Amino acid sequence: MEWVYTFAWLIPVLPLAAATLVGLGFISVPEWTKRQRLPVAALSIGTLAVTFVHSLLILSQAVGGHEAYTWQFEWAAMGGIVVPMGFTVDNLGAAMLTVVTGVALLVMIYSHGYMEHDPGYVRFFCYLSLFSCSMLGLVVSPNLIQIYVFWELVGMCSYLLVGFWFYKKAAADAAQKAFIVNRVGDFGLLLGILGVYSITRTFDFPGLAPAIQTAIESGAVPLALVVVYCLLVFMGPMAKSAQVPLHVWLPDAMEGPTPISALIHAATMVAAGVFLVARVFPVFSEVPGVLEVIAWTGAVTAFVGATIAITQNDIKKGLAYSTISQLGYMMMAMGVGAYGAGLFHLVTHACFKAMLFLGSGSVIHGVHDNQDMRLMGGLRKYMPITSATFLIGVLAISGIPPFSGFWSKDEILSAAFDHSLVLWGIGAFTAAITAFYMARMYLMTFEGAYRGENAAALTAVRAWRQNVDREGVVRGFASLPSFGPGAMHTDELAAHGHGEDHDHGEEHGHGGAPHESPWSMTLPLVVLAVPSILIGFVGLPWDNAFGHFLEEGSGYHGAEHAFELGHFLLIAGSSTLLSVGGIALAYYLYILRPELPGQIARRFEPVYLFFINKWNFDWLYEQAFVKTSRLLARGTLQVDQKGVDGVVNFSGLTTLLAGEGLKYFESGRAQFYVLIIFGSLLGLVALLGLL
Amino acid sequence: MFPWLTVIILLPLVAALAVPLIPEKQVKWYSFAVCLVDFVLMVAAFFTSYDLSNPNIQLSERYRWMPQIGLEWSVGADGLSMPLILLTGFITALATLAAWPVTLRPRMFHFLMLAMLAGMVGVFAVQDMVLFFLFFELELVPVYLMLAIWGGKNRLYAATKFILYTAIGSLFILVVGLAMYFYGDLRTFNMVELAAKNYDPTFQNLCFLGLLIAYAVKLPIFPLHTWLPDAHGEATAPVHMLLAGILLKMGGYALIRMNVGFFPEATQVFAPLLIVLGIVNIIYAALTSFGQRNLKRKIAYSSISHMGFVLIGVGSLSEIGMGGAMLQMISHGLIGASLFFLVGATYDRTHTLLLSEMGGIAPKMPKIFAMFTACSMASLALPGMSGFVAELMVFVGMATTDAYSFQFKALVVLFAAFGVILTPIYLLSMLREIFYGTLNHSVVHEEDLVDAEPREVFIIASLLVPIFGIGLYPKLTTDLYAPTTDQLTRVTRERIARAAPPPALLSGIYSVEMTDKHRVSQR
Repeated sequence: MEWVYTFAWLIPVLPLAAATLVGLGFISVPEWTKRQRLPVAALSIGTLAVTFVHSLLILSQAVGGHEAYTWQFEWAAMGGIVVPMGFTVDNLGAAMLTVVTGVALLVMIYSHGYMEHDPGYVRFFCYLSLFSCSMLGLVVSPNLIQIYVFWELVGMCSYLLVGFWFYKKAAADAAQKAFIVNRVGDFGLLLGILGVYSITRTFDFPGLAPAIQTAIESGAVPLALVVVYCLLVFMGPMAKSAQVPLHVWLPDAMEGPTPISALIHAATMVAAGVFLVARVFPVFSEVPGVLEVIAWTGAVTAFVGATIAITQNDIKKGLAYSTISQLGYMMMAMGVGAYGAGLFHLVTHACFKAMLFLGSGSVIHGVHDNQDMRLMGGLRKYMPITSATFLIGVLAISGIPPFSGFWSKDEILSAAFDHSLVLWGIGAFTAAITAFYMARMYLMTFEGAYRGENAAALTAVRAWRQNVDREGVVRGFASLPSFGPGAMHTDELAAHGHGEDHDHGEEHGHGGAPHESPWSMTLPLVVLAVPSILIGFVGLPWDNAFGHFLEEGSGYHGAEHAFELGHFLLIAGSSTLLSVGGIALAYYLYILRPELPGQIARRFEPVYLFFINKWNFDWLYEQAFVKTSRLLARGTLQVDQKGVDGVVNFSGLTTLLAGEGLKYFESGRAQFYVLIIFGSLLGLVALLGLL
Repeated sequence: MFPWLTVIILLPLVAALAVPLIPEKQVKWYSFAVCLVDFVLMVAAFFTSYDLSNPNIQLSERYRWMPQIGLEWSVGADGLSMPLILLTGFITALATLAAWPVTLRPRMFHFLMLAMLAGMVGVFAVQDMVLFFLFFELELVPVYLMLAIWGGKNRLYAATKFILYTAIGSLFILVVGLAMYFYGDLRTFNMVELAAKNYDPTFQNLCFLGLLIAYAVKLPIFPLHTWLPDAHGEATAPVHMLLAGILLKMGGYALIRMNVGFFPEATQVFAPLLIVLGIVNIIYAALTSFGQRNLKRKIAYSSISHMGFVLIGVGSLSEIGMGGAMLQMISHGLIGASLFFLVGATYDRTHTLLLSEMGGIAPKMPKIFAMFTACSMASLALPGMSGFVAELMVFVGMATTDAYSFQFKALVVLFAAFGVILTPIYLLSMLREIFYGTLNHSVVHEEDLVDAEPREVFIIASLLVPIFGIGLYPKLTTDLYAPTTDQLTRVTRERIARAAPPPALLSGIYSVEMTDKHRVSQR
C-alpha cells in the first residue's frame, strides 16, 4: 500500500482539477456550464469522495505504523537559496486529511440541497472544490513557504465564498474585512517566516526546531529575537483561527452561505491556525514564553467568545462566537503543552460544529431564510431530524459525557489544571457559559411555540432593530421590549404588538409553515451525528489512542501522564457539573421563567450592552484603524496633488510666466540687445573676478 | 549568423511605413499580424540562438555607423534584456488587439503602435549608449502623440507633462553617456566596454546620481512620479498597457544594467537610498491609491507602489533579491497591463471613472467581474500568481543579504511588509465599489453593461496564462535570467568588497563585514 503515500499529491490535485474544469467551462461556455448543475455537483462530490477514501487509506496505513512520507522538488532557486515545494504525510497530516475531506464531502452533499434554488449553484461548487484543494494543500505542506502559499489561498477562497452573494452590501463588506484582517495576520506570519529562515536557513518543518535550538544554545541569536519571531509566526494562526484581538472577521463572515460557515468558518479553515501551531510546536516549545502567550491568548479568546455568544440572537452569529470560543480552547491546549488534546478537540469540534452549522442552515432553510432565533421556537415538531442532531451537537459542545466534546474538553481542562489554576478556572467557567448559551440556542429554536408567524414578535423584533445604529452598535433598550436577550414572555409581546404595518416580505421569503429539509441536507446531519457521539472514545484519558498516534509520528513527545482516577474524577466531575448547571439555568430562564432574561439584562444594562456590542472591538477598530487609514490616505493624496505635483506645476508655470515676461524685451532695437549683451558680460566678468 | 535583433527592431518600423497603403478597415489586422510575426521572430531568435547558461551578451551584432565619433549600431541580448524583449513583443501584440475599438484615425494609431514596438525593443536590445539614448527618446514621440490625440479631456496637459518630464530626465543619460565616453583613454559608447572602465569614486557617484534621476522619472520613483497618474488618467487602454506593461520597466532595466552594472562602488553608497525610496514608493503610493477616487489613477498609483519592490530588490545586493526585482518587473508588466486593460473595458461600459458613481455591475458583467477579481488578486500578490513569487524573492533577498546590519534589514522588511496589508485594502475596496452592492442608475445605464466579448476574454486569458505559469513554477522564468543577474550581483559584490568603504555617516546601515572591510582597507 505504499502507493497511497507516494500518490498523496493527488489529494489536493483532484479537487483542483474539478475546479479548473468547471472554471474553464465558465470561461468558454458560461451559459451552458451554468445549466450543468448535476454533472458539476457529481464531479465535485465524486472527486472529493475519492480523496476521502484515499485519506482513509492513508489513515489506516498510518495507524498501522507507516512512517511519514515526504517528497519535495526545487520550486524556486537563486543565489544558493532554494525554496522547495512538495508534500508530506505524517500522522498529524493523515488525521487532518481525513477530517477535512470527510467534512468537505458531507458539506458538498448538503450544499446540493441548500443551494438548490440559488442561481450561483455551479459557481458555488467550483469555489468549494477550489477551497478543498487549498485546504488539503495546506495540510500536506512540508515547509513554511508552502503553508504560507496555501494559507493565503484558503483566505482567498474564504473571500470569494463570504462574498458569494455579491449584491448584498453586508456580504461585500464582510468578505473584504475577512481578507484584510487575515492579511494583518499574514503580515506577521511572513515576517516571522523570514525571521525564522534567517536563523535556520531552512523552510522545512523537521529542520526548524534543531536549528533554533542550536542557535539559542550557541548564543548566535539573542533569545528575545527568537521570541519575537515566534510571536510573529503566531500572528498568522491568531488571525486565521480568530483569536482575540484578530477575531473580528469571523462573525461577519457568516454573511456567506451556511454550508460555507460550516466547512470553512467552523470545521476546517479556522482550524488551520491550530494546525500550524501544531506543525511548528517543536519550535514553540523550544522557546520560553511563547507557549505562555499562546495559552493566555486562547483562554481570553475562549472567554470573550463565550460571553458574546450569550447575547446573540442570530443563530449563525451565536454559533460563530461559539466557534471563536472553542478555537480559544484549542489554542489554550497548545499553549499549556497539551499538543494532542488541542488537536483532539480540533477533530471533535470539526464534527459537532459542522453538524451544528449545517443544522442551523437546515433551520434557516426550513423557516424561509430567517436567522433570528427570536422568530423561531417550537421547530422540533416540524424538523425532527434537525432538532435531534442539533441536540446531540449541543450536548457534545457542552461537554456532557459520553459525547465527544466531553472527552476532548476534559483533556484540555485537565492539562490546564496541571499548568495553571487560573487558566483552568477560566476554562471551566467558560465551559459553564458554553453549556448555557448552547442550551439557550437550542431552547429558543426548537422548544416553545413557533413565533415566526406571530405578528407581535415580528413587531418587537423590528422595534429592536431600530435600536441598532448604522455601525451596528446597540444603544441601550430602556424603552424597548426585552427582545434583545431573547426572552419570550407573551405578555410582553401583547403590550407592544399593536398597530404596525406587517412587512412580512422582510422576514419571509415565501412564508408558510416551517418544514424539514430534503434528504441531501439531513443525511449529512445524521452522518455527522455518529462521530459527534462516538469519536471521543479514541481519546479516552486512560487509553489515549489518538494522543499516541499523533506523538508517534511527530517526533515530539509530551510529558506522559499516568492516568489517575482521582484527578480525572475531579476535573471531569467538576466540568460536567458546571455544564449541567449551565443547561439547567438555560432551561429555567428560557422555558420556565421566560420573562427573567429581559429583566436581568435590564438590571445589568451596561454589562449586557458591553457583551452584545462584542466588547466594543468593532467600534474600536473602526475608530482606530478604518477611519485613521482613510484619513491618512486622503492626507497623502492631498500631499501628492498639492505638494509634490504642486512643485511640478509651479515650475511649469514659472517658465511660462518668465517667457511671457521676457518676450517684451524682444523689441527689435539693436542698441538694446547690445546693451544687454554688454551688461551680461560685465556681470559675468565681475562674478568670475569675485570668485 | 542571421541578424535576429536588427530584423526584430526594423521589421515593425518598415511595416509601419506601409500602413498608409492599407485600407482603414484592415489596418487593425495588419498591425496585429506584424506584431505577431515580430513576437514569433523573437521567440525563434531566443529559441535557436540563445544559450540560457551563458550570462553574457549574445545574439550580438556590431556594425559601424559613424566611425568618426565611434558610433556603432550595436545590439545584443543577455538575461536582463531577453525576458523584457519577449515581454515587449507579447504585450504589444495584445495591445494592438486592445486597440481594435479605436475609430478615430486608426491608421495613424496603428502606425504609432508599430513605431512604438520598434522603439521599445530597441531600448532593451541596444548595447551602445548613444543608441540607447536615441531609442529612449524615440519611443517618447508615439506615446506623446497617442496621449495628445486619443486621450481624455485633459490630454494636452498630460501629454505635455509626460514629454517634458521624461525628456528632461533623459538629458541626464546623454550627459552621463558623454562623460563616460571621455573618461580614461578608451573612447567608446559600447556598454560592455564602458562597464569595464574603472571610474574613480566621485565620478561614479555623480554619474550614478544623474542616471538615477533619469530612471527615477521612468520607473517612477517618488517624488518624480507625478506624470504617471496624469498620463494614465488620460490614456486609452492600449496606451495604458504599453505604459504600465513596458515603459516603466525601461527605468528598472536601465537602473540594473547601467547604475549597478557600470558603477558598482557607487551602488554600495546609493543602495540604501534605493531601498528607502522603494519603501516610500510602496507605502506612499499605496496610501495615495487608497485615497484616490479615480479608477485609472488608482491603478496608476498601484503601479508606482509595486515598482517599490524593484528598488528594494536591486538595493538588497543579493542574488535572490536582484532576481526578485527582475521578476517583479516581468510580473508587473503582465499584471499591470491586464488591470489597465480591464479598467479601460469597464470604462467603455460605465462611462465613468469615479468609484463613487459605480457599483453593482457584477450581475450584468460576470466575466469582467471574474477577470477583474483574478487580476486584482494577482496584483495583491496572491500565491499561485507571479506577483507573489517576485515579492517573496525580494523579501527573502532583503532578509538574508549580508550587506546590511540587522537593524536596517529588520526595519526595511518590516516597512515593506506593510505593503502586504495596504495593497489588498485599496484593491479590494476598489472591487467592492465597482462590482458589489447595487447599481447606480443615475450615471450607469444598464443597456451599456454588456459582458466581455471574446476578444477581451482572449487578451486577459493570454495575460493570465503566464501570470499563473510563473506563480506555479517560477523557475520557468527565473532560469531565463538567473545566470546574468547572478553574475551581475556577484561581480558587484566583488567590486564592492575591494572598493573604498561606504561613507562613515552611513556605517550603521551596513553589516559588520562591510565595516570590517573598512578597517582593513585603511590599514
